[in-house]
Amino acid sequence: MTFSDYCLLSIFYFWASSTAFSVGIGYYTIYRPIMAGMAAGLILADIKTGMLAGAVVNIIFIDFISTGGSLKGDQCLTAILAAAASIIFKLNPLEAAAAAFPFGFLGILIWKYRLKINNIFVHIYEKKYKENKAPDISLYNGLFPQLLLFMMSLAVIITAFYLMFLFNKLIHFNSISVLLYYIGIILVIFSVSNVLYKIKIKYNYAIFISVFLAALVLDMRAYILFILIVLSLLYLSEKKVSIVRNSFNGKLKRGDLVYSWFIWMNYSHSCYSYERLMGLAFAHSMKNIIRKLYADEHEIAEAIHNHTEFFNTEPNMGTPIHGYIISLEEERMLNNQSFEDISYIKKGMMGISAGLGDSFTQAILAPLFISMSVMLCLDGSFYLAFIPVIILSVFILFISYNGFMNGYFQGRESMLQRIKDVKQSKIKLYFPYIFSGILGFSISKLLFNNIRPYEDIFTLSIILFAAVIMFIRKRGEQ
Amino acid sequence: MKNVFVRIDDRLLHGQVVVSWIPYLRAKEVVIADDEYANDEFMSELIKSSGPEGVIVHVKTIDETAAYLSDDNQNKILVLLRSIEGIKKLIKKTKISSINIGGVGAAQGRKRYYNSIHLSDDELNILNDIANDNIYVEIRILPKDKAIIIKGN
Repeated sequence: MTFSDYCLLSIFYFWASSTAFSVGIGYYTIYRPIMAGMAAGLILADIKTGMLAGAVVNIIFIDFISTGGSLKGDQCLTAILAAAASIIFKLNPLEAAAAAFPFGFLGILIWKYRLKINNIFVHIYEKKYKENKAPDISLYNGLFPQLLLFMMSLAVIITAFYLMFLFNKLIHFNSISVLLYYIGIILVIFSVSNVLYKIKIKYNYAIFISVFLAALVLDMRAYILFILIVLSLLYLSEKKVSIVRNSFNGKLKRGDLVYSWFIWMNYSHSCYSYERLMGLAFAHSMKNIIRKLYADEHEIAEAIHNHTEFFNTEPNMGTPIHGYIISLEEERMLNNQSFEDISYIKKGMMGISAGLGDSFTQAILAPLFISMSVMLCLDGSFYLAFIPVIILSVFILFISYNGFMNGYFQGRESMLQRIKDVKQSKIKLYFPYIFSGILGFSISKLLFNNIRPYEDIFTLSIILFAAVIMFIRKRGEQ
Repeated sequence: MKNVFVRIDDRLLHGQVVVSWIPYLRAKEVVIADDEYANDEFMSELIKSSGPEGVIVHVKTIDETAAYLSDDNQNKILVLLRSIEGIKKLIKKTKISSINIGGVGAAQGRKRYYNSIHLSDDELNILNDIANDNIYVEIRILPKDKAIIIKGN
């Protein structure tokens, strides 16, 4: 690897893990192992190998949700390392994933300390505000935390690669490739059994096994299953989509709302801190709105500062709050109301949309589409594998933009409507069945495209052994 | 009461609770014990409608919650409160054996106690008093996290 490879990889890792500068969809696209592996492959001039390694890492992390308290490393870093290991050391994807797995834990450091370190920016902002210096929220929510995160990402990438290469110097990965291969298989089986166990439906194992066998016996191609799933999703999805087309009568125009939405989507997690969580990001997204509403610099600084209070929600599901709050700010400017009422509404709505959002976007939409991408990739349809990721991105953008505008025009009713929509969503109902099937297909393709013929029996017993151990462990937890 | 789990979380039914705690506890009912929300018709409708599948959500005042919990509960109930003041009121009205603290945001007068838990001196005193009364008080944000126990004085 050359110096420029390291630079590009660390820039990419920063971009993917910051979730900034990607209109909010970075978390659902480039942060996911399959796409991170693809990008690392692109940088190291072997996209397919990188993507395959990423896909295997993705299966190992398929049960990831940010609120779940995963005991695994950082999936994005693991994927980058696995892709590099696969390309540089010529390891097969399972071996590469196993080789990268321990070094991926370094990535957790970023998440762990980011929330603590970002408190510093909150404190500096507060201090400047108290001194009447009218601090610019975009510096304290945007630029400074992002610069720091870049330094951290750079340090983590370099350390992780250094350790991985050092390990390879001491014990050649190639000399222990058989061991890595079985560790890889065990990691995959653990993850899949864990996620199947979590899906609490009657036929999850039955669906998994029948699709697994069908893929094996009929040698079915993944794109056929993909097309079937997309068609059934189209059939299941709501045909009526409410898009409000009201006119903008006040001081604010559509462009102002779009800009505010754009800032929110880019910087919602930019200065994520224990003290305020997304508080600074909310204020950041209100900056242009407040500037439009007020003229006096002192009033502007105060109105923006109001919004820096503690705030946390799911960034895409929660956008009706923003739209609604903007309309309330507009009213407040005209009627000179106090900020207390606005604050009460923000605090009341944020938790609800967070619970709703995390259980839908993170626990259903992301695994559904990302696993389809993994399935296509493992079957060798590399170009097709981008399609589920693109559909997911469009879905997420639509949810967040639509909510933002509906919140502005319909107020709090839009949140109630959103809850109803999600609750009645048929995707949510059928997700466990579809997901079990996709997993069965993916594992079938993964194992039998990578199987070592002379170790057939041994491999099979390892797989069974891992599955049984997992099952007993889960039973024990009950 | 053995079928009751009491948690203080100022975001109430948010992601960590819906995705991690409710499945972990196998809770069938959630009671939001909050005077302000119980008296706000829109907010209580919003909260009630946001519960996950198969879970009944009630929004009750603290007094109503105390009365509700006194019955022999068949279901596993998760009680959520927004504030430490609220738990102080609830404990006076009904018997509770353990308290989980999962989220208290920063505010004026509060200092960071642990990760996302911020407590003022008064609030810490209340918790210490509760712990002194032989009630188990833990800080645990997610089910898998290690519990930090407040032991009292």
